[in-house]
Amino acid sequence: MGSYISISYLLLFLPIVAIVFSVVPKKIKPFVLLAASLVFIWTCSRFWIIYWIFTTLSVYLAALFVEKSKQKCKEALPSAEDREQKKAIKKQFARKQLCVVSLIIIANIGLLAVLRYSQFFVANFNIIVQKLGADFQVALPKFAACIGISFYTLQAVSYLHDVYKGKIAADHNLGRLALYMSFFPIIMEGPICRYSDTAERLWNCERIQFKDFTFGMQRIAFGILKKVVVADRLNVMVTSIFREYQYCDYDGGIIFLGAVLYTIELYMEFSGTIDVVIGSGEIFGVTIPENFRQPFFSKSITEFWQRWHITLGTWFKDYVFYPVTMSKPMKKLTKNARKKLGRNYGPMPASIFAFGCVWLCNGLWHGAGWEFIFFGFYHFVLISLGSLILPLSTALFKKWNFDRHKLPYRIFTIVRTAILVCIGEMFFNSRGLSEGFKMFKVLVTKFTFKSFFNGAIFTMGMDRFDYIVILAVIALVFAVGLMKEKGISPREWLAERHICVRWAVLFTMIMAIVIFGAYGTGYIPIDPIYANF
Amino acid sequence: MDRLIEILEDIQPDADYETCTTLIDDHILGSLQIISLVAEIEDEFDITIPTVEIKPENFNSAQSLMAMIERLEDEG
Repeated sequence: MGSYISISYLLLFLPIVAIVFSVVPKKIKPFVLLAASLVFIWTCSRFWIIYWIFTTLSVYLAALFVEKSKQKCKEALPSAEDREQKKAIKKQFARKQLCVVSLIIIANIGLLAVLRYSQFFVANFNIIVQKLGADFQVALPKFAACIGISFYTLQAVSYLHDVYKGKIAADHNLGRLALYMSFFPIIMEGPICRYSDTAERLWNCERIQFKDFTFGMQRIAFGILKKVVVADRLNVMVTSIFREYQYCDYDGGIIFLGAVLYTIELYMEFSGTIDVVIGSGEIFGVTIPENFRQPFFSKSITEFWQRWHITLGTWFKDYVFYPVTMSKPMKKLTKNARKKLGRNYGPMPASIFAFGCVWLCNGLWHGAGWEFIFFGFYHFVLISLGSLILPLSTALFKKWNFDRHKLPYRIFTIVRTAILVCIGEMFFNSRGLSEGFKMFKVLVTKFTFKSFFNGAIFTMGMDRFDYIVILAVIALVFAVGLMKEKGISPREWLAERHICVRWAVLFTMIMAIVIFGAYGTGYIPIDPIYANF
Repeated sequence: MDRLIEILEDIQPDADYETCTTLIDDHILGSLQIISLVAEIEDEFDITIPTVEIKPENFNSAQSLMAMIERLEDEG
């Protein structure tokens, strides 16, 4: 089962689990989901499920230790004679808790780093050694990892951190924690869930409701439509541009088209898969958090990251950005900087430092390669520049009496943001950082629209029919996005229509998937881009 | 409460802090303003605001901020 958008998942695994889930008594239902999730992980990872077991057991036991230690601390406090002694007792227990929590978090992040990044670090170490003239090389390590290790590790860290900070209570029920850590629709590509939002709801699942079932099916159909009609169809041309550009002497216009099409492909693939994930959850009555909120309506890069891969962004905000900016040295820096730089620029030094940490982690999270680190750095620079310019541009617009809410200006900012995002994705999809820069050089120095008019764009794996099909689905996705932007739920809206309309829409979607899906000769379905994370 | 509103007005002047209950939801206070606000509140009220307290329900209005400050003062 390499993908959620596969026959084995959609026509075999999911229906079997749904049938078994609906026939067993309520008490057994969470165990059905847990067993199905473990089977899912086992099918994808076999023996390497051991890594998932390690992470789950380690955070489970560490959280129980923290809880017990807090309890012991409470019991010890009445024996204190004064406030100072109370503080000392609290500090003594807090230190123990911090030791255990840090050890477990380091062990789990360390495991993730070894499994995913050791090859990258060893390869770079070998390059440095070679440059220094030494005559030895370290063999590149090869490790197999468990499916979804980047996703469940972040969930595990957030759970343990929240228990340590007293935000949630430690879970004594290993089954409930294991289900939160393994729920099969989210294990492979996220979203990254929080224990406080998901665990209880998953464990107390009810019988399948008709509305949840139909909504879930609609969402799944919409996701498949995005993936197999748009993303898989675009994959031929995107691969052609990104892998053969140096042999085919493409001009900058084609490179730019490649960057735009890859960004659309990535969005359709990832958000389509997330639709299937959320739809699968809906069938079982579980609300999985949204991971996208019409990202291409963003008016700035900051806003884009509040709408794209939302759960990863909020994870980094809560567990990297705020802990860094709220650390004692950073708070001191903010206070001093506010006195010297004023209220607008005072918080900048601390926040730019924290942004740097966030975007280094974000880049590395996306992959072990310099192109991914650059991808993080690129967004770090854009967001930092945006923060630095904002007070100045706000003052200037006020002075000139310029209304930034006017439609032309809003469209300009949306297009500007989309172009910047596409350039970032070009580096993300390049074969190495140097290839990315070569493509960027062609884009800037050889930009022309010639290939758009001489028919060249119809010779790279997509003909006019492909363009029409893709544009039709993009128009549908845009219309759905526009409705959501206006606060209308497309599915609630559809649910209020006549039954004939509802079935016609569902039937049309299924027929579009069957007829226009990119299958067979000439098409290579994209591997789920986030599945090996 | 008056001192808190003074701090808020110093950090972000364009808002009615007496009545507004959507400071975070309406992006009146962004992450940069929150960083300044936490530093100023900690200084003024001699408390430490842990990162878990940085959530919309605590920062959406001057009233909810004041309630958080009083709670953290009580907890010592």
